[in-house]
Amino acid sequence: MLLPACIIISAFLLVPFVMSFPISLTNQRLIPRPYRFVGLDNYVQVLTDPVFWQALWNVTRFTAMVVPVQCGFALAMALLINQKIPGRNFFRGALFLPAITSMTVVCVIWGTLFQFPTGPLNQIVGFLTLGMAGPIDWLGDPRSSMPAIVLLSAWQAYGFQMVVYLAGLQNIPADLYEAARLDGASTWQRFRFVTLPGLRQTNIFVLIITTIQAFKLFTQINILTQGGPRDSTNTVVQYMYTVGFVGQKLGLASAVAIILFVIVLLISLVQRYVLRDRK
Amino acid sequence: MTKMKTKLKLGLSAAAFAMVVSVAGFTAPAGAAALKMMFQGDPYEIDAISDAAKRFEAANPGTTIELIHTPHDSYNEKVGAAVSAKQLPDILELDAPFLSNYVWSGFLQPIDSLIDKKLLDDMTPSNVAQGTYPPDKKLYATALIDSTVLIYASKKQLEAAKIRIPKGVDDAWTGEEFQAALKTLSTQPGVKWPIDLFRAYGTKTEWIPYGYEPLLVSAGCDLINRDTWKATGTFDSKACVDATTMMASWVKNGWVVPQSAGANQFYADGRPAALAWGGFWFYSEAAKALGDDLLALPLPKFGPKGASPNGTWIYAISKTSSDPQMAGKFLSFMIEDQKYQEAYKAHSAYPGLKSFGAASPLYAPGGPMAVAFEQAAKTAVPRPPHPAYPAITLAAQVALNNILDGADPQTELTKAAKAIDADIADNDGYPPFGKK
Repeated sequence: MLLPACIIISAFLLVPFVMSFPISLTNQRLIPRPYRFVGLDNYVQVLTDPVFWQALWNVTRFTAMVVPVQCGFALAMALLINQKIPGRNFFRGALFLPAITSMTVVCVIWGTLFQFPTGPLNQIVGFLTLGMAGPIDWLGDPRSSMPAIVLLSAWQAYGFQMVVYLAGLQNIPADLYEAARLDGASTWQRFRFVTLPGLRQTNIFVLIITTIQAFKLFTQINILTQGGPRDSTNTVVQYMYTVGFVGQKLGLASAVAIILFVIVLLISLVQRYVLRDRK
Repeated sequence: MTKMKTKLKLGLSAAAFAMVVSVAGFTAPAGAAALKMMFQGDPYEIDAISDAAKRFEAANPGTTIELIHTPHDSYNEKVGAAVSAKQLPDILELDAPFLSNYVWSGFLQPIDSLIDKKLLDDMTPSNVAQGTYPPDKKLYATALIDSTVLIYASKKQLEAAKIRIPKGVDDAWTGEEFQAALKTLSTQPGVKWPIDLFRAYGTKTEWIPYGYEPLLVSAGCDLINRDTWKATGTFDSKACVDATTMMASWVKNGWVVPQSAGANQFYADGRPAALAWGGFWFYSEAAKALGDDLLALPLPKFGPKGASPNGTWIYAISKTSSDPQMAGKFLSFMIEDQKYQEAYKAHSAYPGLKSFGAASPLYAPGGPMAVAFEQAAKTAVPRPPHPAYPAITLAAQVALNNILDGADPQTELTKAAKAIDADIADNDGYPPFGKK
């Protein structure tokens, strides 16, 4: 029964990953040519490249911003559509729409929204501030480019976390709420002492998954900014893509992939340790 | 990791594809061929190419042309992926400056003997140059068109601002005149930005090295020294630092259309951008909006000599082609096809064939784009024809884009020059290059 799954996983995940390690020790090019073993040269080159560290810092910034925003929003929406409100199924569907829209499409739409100086978002800003805040070059200004990417990423992807939270919420026994209500707990107290502890396992899952996804940030960057302006949105995967496909250095790109894998693995382990069940 | 995954997937589908082909090859009648062609282009080009392919199929029963349209953005990366997955088509369109890298990598074959002699003789010198690999001086690619970049302007606007209108390439604006014009235009009513440098094309196309390198060459430097093939001492020289500092000052002054404002500000409502530093392809869209008021001017001279770019998308035949003779026959057929040529003419295509030039009133002496032809003859400088071009263009794009975004020119250019030299060293100088 497990055989097909095992074959697919090893063919498309394990084998390529294991293969990329030997490649990372050579100067192999994207377009096949004779190549030679270069030892750890590629790793040294990556780890001494300031652009790589900038990219790593950028994904760290991105993760620190997008995880709370995206998960917080997902939880809020999950609470909302868990209520017995009229048209609940409509809201459930509507809120999930961005998640099933392709990221490429989302990027094209948001690219238009972000347009400088006359895009819709800038018109809203101008209107709300009565023209006091000048138009913002969302993606063209190093100060606003990453927050802009955070905004659109959270908007596109929160649907998944929302559904996971919704499932978590529905797993909390209704009698706990009933008991809390009988004890005179306020709405906030019910949320703080019944809902949040009940979502503990869900939270761990959501945080780890969202962090891993955030570290792999690529599509939005590649479509909208290509890492600019001035490397303010460059990410590790964008860096890997650039050295591998544009610079044609497959060996170097494989070294980046291995380094990224180790980083993500370490973060997941630390998260698991910190969030472990202390009972 | 992701990359490896794709590679393996491509490899598997390549194997599946090879099986299909071997079966098909077994049943195909003699003299027939199944050709594949990978290309990019605007919608009108896709139509023109598909129609030409249909006519060729009708004229050569049994032969099929499978067209693989590939988006323009990141096209070069897709070629690399196709090669490493052994999925190369018989014919592929490529961006001219990448030719040296592809020939050096060993997957193209010379086409001198594969295409029509008539077509060969009809190619302009610049067209021959863009398709030739310097070490063996053989022709590897051909096309109907070539390219250049001009300054587009409104005649009325320049006259109102009392800015001199150059008559030809010899009296092109000097750098000082050009900057004075930008300054004057910035104060004209309705002008939001004096110039569009088409930053909106971004870094996924060849625009930055293609459109901006001439400015550096004219100012007395280059992306790389074309004798020693070293970037350090050239790309990071004072001349390049000064030239890029000057370009960055235009952005800083608010004279340049920002990247996120799109590529139509020259002719959009109210004409927010006064001048446009644009390719030949921009003429037809701008002429639609401006009509007779549209002026095409030569690129300014930033030093004693002017410079302008050349090179465009050209067609080559892969070494692994199942039927190179038929591939050459199709290429000749398509390029010489009347309807194909008409479609390009309607979009102000810059001629790469002498006969096509003679038949294009736009580029004839006295025509609105005559200056483009004159400029190509007098100041065209191809991008560095070296197998390290992917590394050169990557470093140049990052550096120039960062400088325009406000980074320190010297730091960026030094970094870029080092990256280019490191790539060449990593590949042992890309032999036979560097061995004189």
